[in-house]
Amino acid sequence: MFQYFIKRLAGIIPILMIVSIFIFLFVHMIPGDPARLVAGQDATQQDVESVRKQLELDKPLHQQYLSFVTNMIHGDFGHSLKTKRPVIEEIQSRFMPTFWLSVWSMVWAVLFGLLIGVVSASKRNKWQDYAGMFGAVAGISLPSFWMGLMLIQLFSVKLGWFPTGGLDSWKSYVLPSLTLGAGVAAVIARFTRSSLMDILKEDYIRTGRAKGLHERKVVWDHGLKNALIPVVTMTGLQFGFLLGGSIVIETVFGWPGLGRLLVDSVSFRDYPVIQSLMLLFALEFIIINLIVDLLYGVMNPQIRYE
Amino acid sequence: MRDKLLTIENLKTHFFSDDGIVPAVDGVNITIKKGETVGIVGESGCGKSVTSLSVMRLLKDTPGRVVGGSIQFKGKDLLSLSDREMRNIRGNEIAMIFQEPMTSLNPVLTIGRQIKEAVGLHLGLEGKKAHEHVIEMLKLVGIPRAEEIVNEYPHQLSGGMRQRVMIAMAMSCKPKLLIADEPTTALDVTIQAQILELMKKLSAEEETAIMLITHDLGVVAEMCDRVVVMYAGKVVEEADIYELFENPKHPYTKGLLQSIPKLREKKNRLGSIPGTVPNPLERPPGCKFAPRCSEVFDLCREVEPELLPVGADHQCRCLLYQRDLVKEA
Ligand SMILES: Nc1ncnc2c1ncn2[C@@H]1O[C@H](COP(=O)(O)OP(=O)(O)O)[C@@H](O)[C@H]1O
Ligand SMILES: [Mg+2]
Repeated sequence: MFQYFIKRLAGIIPILMIVSIFIFLFVHMIPGDPARLVAGQDATQQDVESVRKQLELDKPLHQQYLSFVTNMIHGDFGHSLKTKRPVIEEIQSRFMPTFWLSVWSMVWAVLFGLLIGVVSASKRNKWQDYAGMFGAVAGISLPSFWMGLMLIQLFSVKLGWFPTGGLDSWKSYVLPSLTLGAGVAAVIARFTRSSLMDILKEDYIRTGRAKGLHERKVVWDHGLKNALIPVVTMTGLQFGFLLGGSIVIETVFGWPGLGRLLVDSVSFRDYPVIQSLMLLFALEFIIINLIVDLLYGVMNPQIRYE
Repeated sequence: MRDKLLTIENLKTHFFSDDGIVPAVDGVNITIKKGETVGIVGESGCGKSVTSLSVMRLLKDTPGRVVGGSIQFKGKDLLSLSDREMRNIRGNEIAMIFQEPMTSLNPVLTIGRQIKEAVGLHLGLEGKKAHEHVIEMLKLVGIPRAEEIVNEYPHQLSGGMRQRVMIAMAMSCKPKLLIADEPTTALDVTIQAQILELMKKLSAEEETAIMLITHDLGVVAEMCDRVVVMYAGKVVEEADIYELFENPKHPYTKGLLQSIPKLREKKNRLGSIPGTVPNPLERPPGCKFAPRCSEVFDLCREVEPELLPVGADHQCRCLLYQRDLVKEA
């Protein structure tokens, strides 16, 4: 297991190399001239050229890529074209709000998603199932901006329990994380339900019942331990998406997160920021994948003992 | 006469499917006495498994439901017990092993844990005592390295070993009745013999009655005191083992016996009787076996025969032995 972990960890390096090439090429394909943007609308052609030189945009592509990679390895992610601040600072200030918002959203999503999924599967075609799946469909199909606005209206404006937006205290996390978590909870609920329903047809479930186990134990212990294996992958993926920041939620709640940073940088062609963000997202997915794989091993003895 | 342990009377278990009602078990009577091994034989689809699942009340999550009859176990009507009372019987006084050892154990739980559950539930053993009991059971069913196997997972064991684990689990609470649904069908011939031998030995030691479901009359001959032959959801013949093999009455039983491969011949499954089991949705009126019967006569297609005595401790559901009734008509 440990060896496997080290192997997987080493495997990240070539993946990152490939990803960095794609990101580099992708960013350079974005239409628009960054030198012109930095220099400003009414700069002379000469000014633009000198900016280009300063940013090393006049060099051949492979040289640009090499310096991009070496700089990154040295922890130099360049400066934002827009704010002139180091990219690393731009991202740092936005990362934590997004990260904790994602974590809290996942906490709700997993809690409610599993509960609804398991109850629905074990009470198949009864009212609990219909209610759960109705909620899940609502969670998936209701637009999150609408849900967010509704929550703000009720809990912030009417009841005054939570702030309407921004990030000041733990209270600020409640509404956006519930809004963001609702969609994920719905996905987890549906996935858990179908996975568990398949598992509950298995022979070993019948064995559990034949042993005299309580139905609750059969479902939550014998069933869920097996049903969770595919759910974990899906949950990891969802977490990865959340870590990218949600533009809609961040806009509705005035959240200082990565989603808005990305949108701002794209509209400004702030390619050092775009590059670094994309690299960050890729890295997040890779790490989550690694964790998911490890969890897989922990949960599935057949893999663990290979 | 030994005491009655299990009495199934006129059991009817139907499945409610989109195509209609399937009378999978359609009026079955079976009696099992203490310590006795009773074989239930019949071609696939005749309702053997459904009968056993009805006794265990394990039809939840299927479209099946017991719609009539009674199941008495030690004087208690199993069908009217609460879920809780039934759970106290399952795995404790009535245990069950299944056909598929490869899929009947939970892949993510250790062997030890899976046996311990039953032991904890019914014998109240926990911790070290439970652990010791589990190891003792594993040794009893002939599992080598029992101390290590308790911490291993099902996929690390062969099919035969897994079936031994199932037997260890089933016998761990000293059941009065063991229901074995084709326990050796999925296993190699040599392993089959070992597993049967093991069941025979344990049931003799513990005085456990066995309801042995099989479609292999060779297994029946090896194991059973009495045989119940089922066809299309009904019992068609029931007799003492010697009586049945020497003096079979029902044409279906005769057909089954003829289809047993001779000793040491290549193993052959039942079903060399011409024709196929009727679709349970379109069973003929009269005797369900009539379309395949070599001794059929006109009345068979109209009148459904009763299960009636044809000798000492021998019952048969066939008009051939009900001449009075035939004359009347
Ligand atoms: N889960 C189920 N859903 C619908 N019908 C079933 C189900 N299980 C069994 N049946 C019906 O009951 C009949 C008897 O099945 P079974 O008792 O399993 O036969 P066997 O004698 O081979 O064990 C089948 O032919 C089928 O029509
Ligand atoms: Mg069967």
